[in-house]
Amino acid sequence: MLIDIRNLSFAYGHRTVISGLSHTINPGDFLVVKGKNGTGKSTLIKCLLGINSVKNGMIFFNGVDINYYRQWTKFGYISQDLDGFNYEYPLTVEELLKFSSVTKKSEQSYLRLLDNMGILEIINQNINSLSGGQLQRVFIVRAMLDNPEVLILDEPTASIDRQNTEFFYNTINELNKKGITVILITHTDAFEHMNYTHVLNMALDLTTSIETRQVEEGSESS
Amino acid sequence: MMLSFLQDLFQQDFMLRALIAGIIIGVMAPTIGSIVVIRRLSFIADTLGHFSLVGIAVSLYLSTLGISIFFETPLYLGLTFSVIGGLLIELFRRAYKNYKEISMVIVISIGSTLSAIFFSLAKKTGSLYQYLFGSILTITNFHLLLIALTAILVLLMFLIFGKQILSVSFDETTSKFLGINVGLFQIIFMIILSVVVSVLLDVAGVLLISSMMIIPVAAGMRIGWSFRSTWIISVVFSELSIFFGLWASHAFELPSGAAIVAVNVLILLTVAIVKRIVIRRQMVKMDKLK
Repeated sequence: MLIDIRNLSFAYGHRTVISGLSHTINPGDFLVVKGKNGTGKSTLIKCLLGINSVKNGMIFFNGVDINYYRQWTKFGYISQDLDGFNYEYPLTVEELLKFSSVTKKSEQSYLRLLDNMGILEIINQNINSLSGGQLQRVFIVRAMLDNPEVLILDEPTASIDRQNTEFFYNTINELNKKGITVILITHTDAFEHMNYTHVLNMALDLTTSIETRQVEEGSESS
Repeated sequence: MMLSFLQDLFQQDFMLRALIAGIIIGVMAPTIGSIVVIRRLSFIADTLGHFSLVGIAVSLYLSTLGISIFFETPLYLGLTFSVIGGLLIELFRRAYKNYKEISMVIVISIGSTLSAIFFSLAKKTGSLYQYLFGSILTITNFHLLLIALTAILVLLMFLIFGKQILSVSFDETTSKFLGINVGLFQIIFMIILSVVVSVLLDVAGVLLISSMMIIPVAAGMRIGWSFRSTWIISVVFSELSIFFGLWASHAFELPSGAAIVAVNVLILLTVAIVKRIVIRRQMVKMDKLK
């Protein structure tokens, strides 16, 4: 297994948001984490990504306790509404990806990834002038620079239109087909077009349930 | 007027020193300033300046007691305190993750209080003006060397860690997943920024350091279309403000630091007004085409 969550609980002060969650994620899985606002979806992701330290319960990635994990390039992460990024300063797409290409592997990959994503022509554009959909693709390229094993997407379609949402779904499906494990966080049901394997439902009363999708043989279109 | 300024520039040693220092600072200040702006820490130079002042005040106080540390140059203790101030800001920023600006208020308060106390104890409150407003015209050869060495340090920082520092500055959250030790690069940048601030204290003074770092970048951002173009434009504006600031200081006997910042502000206003006019004209043209 790739990720093993064991009896995870998390609280902000006295407010518990995750209680006794256990789940395993295997390589190549596509997990949708679904729940209303305040059900602990983003908290779970922050625990998975080592942003929140895990004090009650344990999370293992490739057998290593996440509290001691250091090889973070194995994770690709796109945060909710791409918040935390400074958009106002002039910066071209190429500059953003060059600054983000710290490892040798990533230095060689951004042109190919931009081409695959169909946005090579915007390489010299200021990111402030891009549409929500274009920006989303740039951030997918950025998350994929180091060829991660897991791609984590926190409410990724919140700021893009329907057409770009469809393109986005197809892109994520393709990446998952290539063997990348995907974890998608959403508060809506609009993930039916995605080739997900499991849905983790998180409720406000702290209960959780897992649905496993039965993929019919030959049902996948190429 | 300009001719006599140019003559003095190459005939008077102090003017030539000021020009060379100005050229170096003209590149260094907006370079480090652009990272400060991207990290949304525009008041940080002011804060570090105030904390650096504590070191200078302590140094002056100790010298009145007959204790001279670091070769009797207040700058060294100023530099040490500036670095301590920088590390304190980073520490408080981590403690108040959602209210990061609080860190600067805490450090500036400690800096102002302690420097006032030690300047008073040293009975050197008269020398405060020099540290508050600085003067590029009074710098020594030794200080010029320090400015050049600091510029080399900044250059090396960008050559070796440029990608990491820019990535962390634009996006702290996801830089970790690009293989960057975010905390380490925040501290490296903070230490180098603290050194730059303390070295520029004699030139720009506590109250004008931020202006020299931030205003050329603010003007560059109005017309830049990429990080690179914005940086080049900021450096050009910074160099122009230093040259014409020195000229204004020479011609009208104005304090040099204030004259430089005044030219900076003039450039910013001009850029903002010209850009507005250009945008309006473009909108009128588009309306006509419709």
